[in-house]
Amino acid sequence: MLLRLTKVAKFYGNRLVIKDVSFEVSPGTVTLLAGPNGAGKSTLLKLMAGLSRPSVGSVERGIADEALGYLGHQTFIYPELTAFENLAFWARLHGLAQERCSEEALLAALERMELKRFAFERAGGFSRGMAQRLNLARVLLLSPSLLLLDEPGTGLDTRSMAILHREIAAARDRGAGIVWISHSVAEDLARADRVLAIADKRVVYSGPAADYVPEAVAC
Amino acid sequence: MLSAALAIASKDLRLLLSRGTGLVQALLLGLLLIFVFSLSQRVGEVMGPQGAAAIFWLASAFCQVLIFNTLFAIEEANGARFGLLLAPVPVQAVWLGKGIAGFTLLLCAQAVFLPAAIVFLGQTVSPLWHVGLATVLLADVGIVALGALLGALSQGQAARESLLSIVLFPLLVPVLLAGIRVGAAAFADDIPEGVESWLGLVAAFDALFLGAGIVLFPFVYGGEE
Repeated sequence: MLLRLTKVAKFYGNRLVIKDVSFEVSPGTVTLLAGPNGAGKSTLLKLMAGLSRPSVGSVERGIADEALGYLGHQTFIYPELTAFENLAFWARLHGLAQERCSEEALLAALERMELKRFAFERAGGFSRGMAQRLNLARVLLLSPSLLLLDEPGTGLDTRSMAILHREIAAARDRGAGIVWISHSVAEDLARADRVLAIADKRVVYSGPAADYVPEAVAC
Repeated sequence: MLSAALAIASKDLRLLLSRGTGLVQALLLGLLLIFVFSLSQRVGEVMGPQGAAAIFWLASAFCQVLIFNTLFAIEEANGARFGLLLAPVPVQAVWLGKGIAGFTLLLCAQAVFLPAAIVFLGQTVSPLWHVGLATVLLADVGIVALGALLGALSQGQAARESLLSIVLFPLLVPVLLAGIRVGAAAFADDIPEGVESWLGLVAAFDALFLGAGIVLFPFVYGGEE
């Protein structure tokens, strides 16, 4: 077990955002988090990441803090730094071993995202797709066992989407558990093993992706 | 934790020094204060050492509000705050990193304010300048410890930014008073009376603000929107 949520509910003030969520993430699986806008998917992902505390219930993680990768709506990029400096900062902050944050390792991570030739350019000049690829490079540099993705494909072009899908598959193949909020559920369903669908502040489907019918649960 | 704090501090210094905006604004505000106060003097009139020290510390206090607002605003533009919170280090590393960066920037600003105070306020550097320098360093520790804690409250939200200066200045009064009293030694020929007591007061408030930063920072800097 990488992550377990038990009877989780979250309030913001008096407003209930999500309730009664129980869910587990296993290694080597991709779980698609589906639901309409405002259903509480991003809140749920933040609860999983530990960025927010549940009002009720518990979130248990079976991994160390350094084994968590989180890719949110925002890119975590410092626009005045170069792509290389951005990666070097996050690698240093996470205390990666020397061989994983050497210049060669960082350039290799950028090469994998097809950003090597932009390595020493200011990240502030990057397009949305390039910024998101840099963000993905940051996350994958940490080799996370648990990868939490909040609509990572938003604003990406076809090439960037292909890179994203390739890296998600690679992470799953090396045993990472992935929870993925997708803005195009129908397209990404084939890449998922499980689906957790949320509507009206509660879980309306939790099970194999093969059995999930989006229309049936109004997502 | 120290390694992470140094990583944050060096990143912040690189960003602020390359961009310059936050630091330049802070410097200009401080210099403007010193210049405006210098206009209150008649031609040939020389301000007393304590008055000059008071203006120097006033400039420093306003300057550090802008410095910490800028330091914490850096993390808000693209949500980097969440990245810092997800790093496998105690969240106090952020407080320490911002504090180190703020301390460096404040010292840089004071290195500009001091000659400005000498020139515009008609002061001379006394043989006791080392007492003044020691006071500046000691008082700066308390100022940045509190600034880094309360700066987190602002987190780039305009309504909260005003909170920094409203809460900060009353809490800083003892440190600033001691800074003015003992710091005047840098411009005077005599060591002020009761210098040990004033320095003891600054050291006590430094310890208090450092302790408050370590204990309270996780409660003011979080991932909740």
